[in-house]
Amino acid sequence: MKKDKQQWYIAIMGVCILLGTIIGIQYNTVKKQAAAIEMQRVTELSNALKKMQDENEKLSKQLAEDEKKLREYEGLLANEGDAMKTLKKELDQVRNYAGMTKLQGRGVEITLKDSSMAAQSGGDINAYLVHAEDILSILNELNVAGAEAISINGQRIVSNSSVRCAGSVVNVNGVKIAAPFVISAIGNADILEAALVFPGGVVDSLSPWGIEITIKKQEHIVIPAYTLPRQMIEASPVEEGGNGA
Amino acid sequence: MIFALVGLLIGIIIGLQSGYVFPQGYSVYVAIGILACLDSVLGGIRSTLDNSFRLKIFVSGFFGNGILSIALIWLGNKLNIQLSIAAVVVFGSRLFQNFAYIRRHLLDSYEKRGNIEKNEKQ
Repeated sequence: MKKDKQQWYIAIMGVCILLGTIIGIQYNTVKKQAAAIEMQRVTELSNALKKMQDENEKLSKQLAEDEKKLREYEGLLANEGDAMKTLKKELDQVRNYAGMTKLQGRGVEITLKDSSMAAQSGGDINAYLVHAEDILSILNELNVAGAEAISINGQRIVSNSSVRCAGSVVNVNGVKIAAPFVISAIGNADILEAALVFPGGVVDSLSPWGIEITIKKQEHIVIPAYTLPRQMIEASPVEEGGNGA
Repeated sequence: MIFALVGLLIGIIIGLQSGYVFPQGYSVYVAIGILACLDSVLGGIRSTLDNSFRLKIFVSGFFGNGILSIALIWLGNKLNIQLSIAAVVVFGSRLFQNFAYIRRHLLDSYEKRGNIEKNEKQ
């Protein structure tokens, strides 16, 4: 009986040593795995960052080059005769229309702030925030009222500008901006204001949610130029009278 | 009881010092294997206290449970069933049961010894 028990203990102890070894190795494995995953993530992120930085650098270099080229052409044009002068004037005008120049003038400044009611009501917080759709409808009204140049938080709105919700912020021209949103518009200030403030208008539809909208008429508003590079890859002009199929 | 703990401790130290690691992706299997084997060890300790310990059953249970649970997890992965949960629940609850039994047994024998000593004094 005594010998038997000794045998049991030896067996259990032997098995326990084996089990303990496996546990120890597993501990090492798990520890290493966690570290490996972390490292992997860090490398991944830094790679992505590096790529973005490279791309950014490349693009801004291209922009600088293009602008230099443009300057050169303009300089050449300025030295030419009257016909060229007319062309240059037209070019300047087109650039103004395209939003590639900094503009100033009379207009309105609209400030949108997220509602302070959200905290008290306890309802759906989303309803009390300023959304991309709200901004878009204001932009639409401003354009209808003949705004000549519009910017949001310093981002110029041009023909291919986008305004889009991106999580808790809004993406304008691919740049993230957050509340408060300041929309500046050059144009006839009275008409612009009237386009927003009328019964059933944009301001009316947002005020029940407590979104604070202030509209200020300004004598002098400066609107920055559109600075991102624009490309036309697929589109090409159709010649007048040509086959525009 | 103590010999098992000492054995575990020695094993863990060996394992930690060895510096070996299991290949990536196998650690799930190993974890379940460890659980199954722990259950066997507690079962073994319990049977020594019962004096019903049988070496063959203990050793075959130790390796059999480990291998079977690993095989089940493997099958579950192939069939997209989370069989590891089943293994964790079963082995986990058995672990606790065995532990409760051992604890009771040890406490009982401790109290009995106390009573005998008291009786001898009288």
